[in-house]
Amino acid sequence: MTTTPPIGSTMPGSSPEPPEIAMGQGRLLLAKARTRLALRSFRNGWSIFLESRIGVLSLLTIVVFAVMAISHPILMATVWDPEIYDPVTGYAFDETEQPAPPSWKHPLGTDPLGRDVLSQLLSSTGSEFVLGITAALVTVAIATTVGAVAAYYGGLIDAFFMRLADLIIALPSISLLIVLSALFDLNLFYLALIIGVLGGFGGTAIILKSQALSIKVKPYIEAARVAGGGHFRIIFVHIVPNLLPLSLLYMMFTVTSAIFAEAVLSFLGLLDLRMSWGIMIHTANVGGYLLGGTRYWWLVVPAGASITFLCSAFYLAGRALDEVVNPRLRRRDD
Amino acid sequence: MSVAQTDPVLKVTDLTLRYSTRQGEVKAVEEVSFELAKGQSLGLVGESGCGKTSVANSLMRLLPDNARLVKGQVWLNGEDLLSLSDEEVRRFRWRRIAMVFQAAMNSLDPVYKVGQQVIEAIETHGVETTIDDAEERVARLFRLVGLDPQLMERYPHEFSGGMRQRAIIAMALSCDPDVIIADEPTTALDVIVQDRILRELKSIQQELRMSVIYITHDMAVVAEVTDRIGVMYAGRLVEFGNTADVFRAPMHPYTAALMSSFPSVSGERRPLGSLSGEPPNLLDPPLGCAFHPRCAYATEVCRRESPPQVSRGQQWAACWHPLDGQTSSTGNHDAY
Amino acid sequence: MIGYLIRRMWQMALTLLLILTVTFLLVQAQPGDYASFYVLDPDLPTEVKEQMRATFGLDRPLWQQYLIHMRNTFTGNFGVSFGHFPRPVMEVLLERLPRTLVLFVTATGASFYIGFLLGKAIAWRRGGFLEYAATISGTTLFTVFTPAFALMMIWVFAFKLGWFPVGKFLDPLVWRGSDVTANSVFSLMLITALAFAVFAFWVLFALKRKGNTGMKRLSIPIILVAALAIPLVWALSGIGTLALDILKHMVLPIVTLTLISFAGTMLLTRNSMLETIREDYVMAARAKGLPEKQVRDRHAARNALLPVVTSLIYSLIFAIDGSVIVESVFSWPGTGMTLLEAVRSEDMPLVMGAIVFIGLFSLLAHVIVDILYVYLDPRIRYQ
Repeated sequence: MTTTPPIGSTMPGSSPEPPEIAMGQGRLLLAKARTRLALRSFRNGWSIFLESRIGVLSLLTIVVFAVMAISHPILMATVWDPEIYDPVTGYAFDETEQPAPPSWKHPLGTDPLGRDVLSQLLSSTGSEFVLGITAALVTVAIATTVGAVAAYYGGLIDAFFMRLADLIIALPSISLLIVLSALFDLNLFYLALIIGVLGGFGGTAIILKSQALSIKVKPYIEAARVAGGGHFRIIFVHIVPNLLPLSLLYMMFTVTSAIFAEAVLSFLGLLDLRMSWGIMIHTANVGGYLLGGTRYWWLVVPAGASITFLCSAFYLAGRALDEVVNPRLRRRDD
Repeated sequence: MSVAQTDPVLKVTDLTLRYSTRQGEVKAVEEVSFELAKGQSLGLVGESGCGKTSVANSLMRLLPDNARLVKGQVWLNGEDLLSLSDEEVRRFRWRRIAMVFQAAMNSLDPVYKVGQQVIEAIETHGVETTIDDAEERVARLFRLVGLDPQLMERYPHEFSGGMRQRAIIAMALSCDPDVIIADEPTTALDVIVQDRILRELKSIQQELRMSVIYITHDMAVVAEVTDRIGVMYAGRLVEFGNTADVFRAPMHPYTAALMSSFPSVSGERRPLGSLSGEPPNLLDPPLGCAFHPRCAYATEVCRRESPPQVSRGQQWAACWHPLDGQTSSTGNHDAY
Repeated sequence: MIGYLIRRMWQMALTLLLILTVTFLLVQAQPGDYASFYVLDPDLPTEVKEQMRATFGLDRPLWQQYLIHMRNTFTGNFGVSFGHFPRPVMEVLLERLPRTLVLFVTATGASFYIGFLLGKAIAWRRGGFLEYAATISGTTLFTVFTPAFALMMIWVFAFKLGWFPVGKFLDPLVWRGSDVTANSVFSLMLITALAFAVFAFWVLFALKRKGNTGMKRLSIPIILVAALAIPLVWALSGIGTLALDILKHMVLPIVTLTLISFAGTMLLTRNSMLETIREDYVMAARAKGLPEKQVRDRHAARNALLPVVTSLIYSLIFAIDGSVIVESVFSWPGTGMTLLEAVRSEDMPLVMGAIVFIGLFSLLAHVIVDILYVYLDPRIRYQ
């Protein structure tokens, strides 16, 4: 056999048929069985997730924000005149005084520069998702690879990655990003990349490695090795897919930290972005409107609440997911 | 209610316990009744999941939140434990009924010194009033169970398995309880230590005239240390009697099967039997006699109707077809 | 135990070396050359340029610059701050470090205590109102946009209610005409607080060891008397009003930092408790007839504390970042705000100094957590 057979066909006494046919069928059967198993465990997990009221509420919140993100380009293309409603360059000629309080034309008022707050809010939602999800994908890609490789090879490779992770955990990331912003011009993409890399080589790698260790000792990994599976194949075909549920969980937490970091750095005026929730508050703060209290509430409340709600939604959804992935946290009466 | 010398220390009647779970209601204990006299030892045997640990936990009133006591009484020296308030139960635990736990390895808190953990129980129940007296008492208990009193100052992780089990026994004895429940007291230990600890436990029991309930799946343990035996299957007590009688002539086919599946070290040579099949699912136990799917003697009536209690002297069994033809009568026996 | 600590210290030292190397590389990696960027800046006086050239060895090869960078860091020579010219970076940082320390230590202490109490309570009674209230408010505070929350605190407690000053470290009106510096008063306050803490612990421990119940009862009154005597002494000392002024400025930042960081510990404690609750020794403690509170606190929570302390480092790092934000919003002149100011004014020597300080700070936090863990877990203590 030149190619690595799937695990199913290496079982002793599997079939008397010619190997090619058995393998083809075996593969198909295996794929079917896997899909069925995955579906069942997904449905099972989903029903546990639905039992967590907080989890469902968080998921709904995320959906609402996603709808907000999609609605911005649609509104700009249909109802909103870019001259007035562009989040960065627009100006509300119809208002005499800026910032203007909420009105029918500007449901959340305008900012000190005469720009529509709702439009800013909606347009930022999209970039927050892009930022969060990019960072999360980078984290998961790195962390699952590092975790699987460190667990599989052990020894020096493991020690190196784990020391590196310890080092990254010991770094206060916001402070580090502040310093980086002094040295480089950070835009959304670089920020997502840096946060993703920090997360991927940091704490997430440690957790995924310990999970990978428990997968490494499972009989099917041994079976794959006996069947002549290469290191690369075992890591990426057999270990990594089994790490995915847990990495999905840590994606949620990475999204939270990415959005939070962006907002803080924007608020401090250290990022090179067109518009974001953090920048909205920064603009109001620089103009001295924040200490006016409730008088200019629309300058800070929508953006501040959005940051808080989206961050907590991802965080709480992650925690609800944790109860699905980690049975020890469930209630005692299962 | 006056407590005469002949009255049992512990009397359990119709104890019935359910657990509610995601899948439905688990009928863990069904109408279990037995009694225990002072200085007597009783073995409750059965496969795992037959409800013996649930019985033990009900006696301590240490049940998880999803457990529900449907009916029954537990009388200890004439007091109904199941009607006590939580606070009353707390005072009574350990003082009146103590327990030697199944998992001795993990039953000692790793962050406190072993002696301190025994003193904690003594202090809580006010058995001794000063720290010095309490320490003196722990030292005495340690000597009794064969531990050096200096080990009081050590942490659990410095103890071997056997030492921990002895410490747990010392802890159970610390408040002079009327009844001690030993839940699989020796399963985690190697055979030699097991045997030694069992012998010591027995001699302590006889010396202090205590009543002990052994919960085990190991017939050898029961044969060695108990006066009476109760065999449980699927949450019910299926046979009860003096240990010697039951071992000489078991009445229930299940008891016979259990006995033949354990080798006898000292007894005569006999073929080792094995019990085929699985214990029933307690979510939905079989109709009639719960044992009928695995029973070689099962007939139509076993599948349909619950078996009657059949007595033979002090021994009884719940079975339609008890072993041996010497059955004296059918119907209720007079054990309670 | 000693072996364990030594091994950990080695790891810390290695980590420190790595941090220093990374900061050096970062400076080198930024667009434009360090030398050209700063030394050719026409705004800088010539003597500063000369001094920088000498301090950082800017005209030497890279590896020599690296060695000089390391030597400078270990001797505490970060050069002269541009922004606070001509004060050395070290002097600026040392002046501000105690302020951050106080903010940080008090807030993390309080948030750990509150988080642990709440965490064990909600794990003990699952599904109750407290669990929902604490989880929701805790995570909201944990994920709330910190600057907005800090501003809200200022607005409510400083503007609307007027209970506390708006920000900054002291009120110049109070300090006008006094001949003492803020730092000397602050240092005295710190020494007092430290002495009191040591005294209180000594009383508690010394009397507990005796095992005498009569003496145990005395310990609380003794500590209370000391706690009352301290303000009295300060009030009589003549600088009491000045100390009070600093105290007033401290309250709001500390409360804010505490509120945003307690939830981490709370949720961690909850998860950890949910696992210890199922342990056999908790069942055993209950079987022993111990009161529920004692089962919860002395057995379940005491063991749940161990993983929480291991993860304490995450909360500490979170709080370090939080204190940077809180300091900037409250204009509290500590290390974090210094870093931010330096970044804004491109005062690179100060930026480097501040980040090394913050790095050292988090390493120190690591060491303290390790020692605490060794103290709490007898399985490691008696290895």
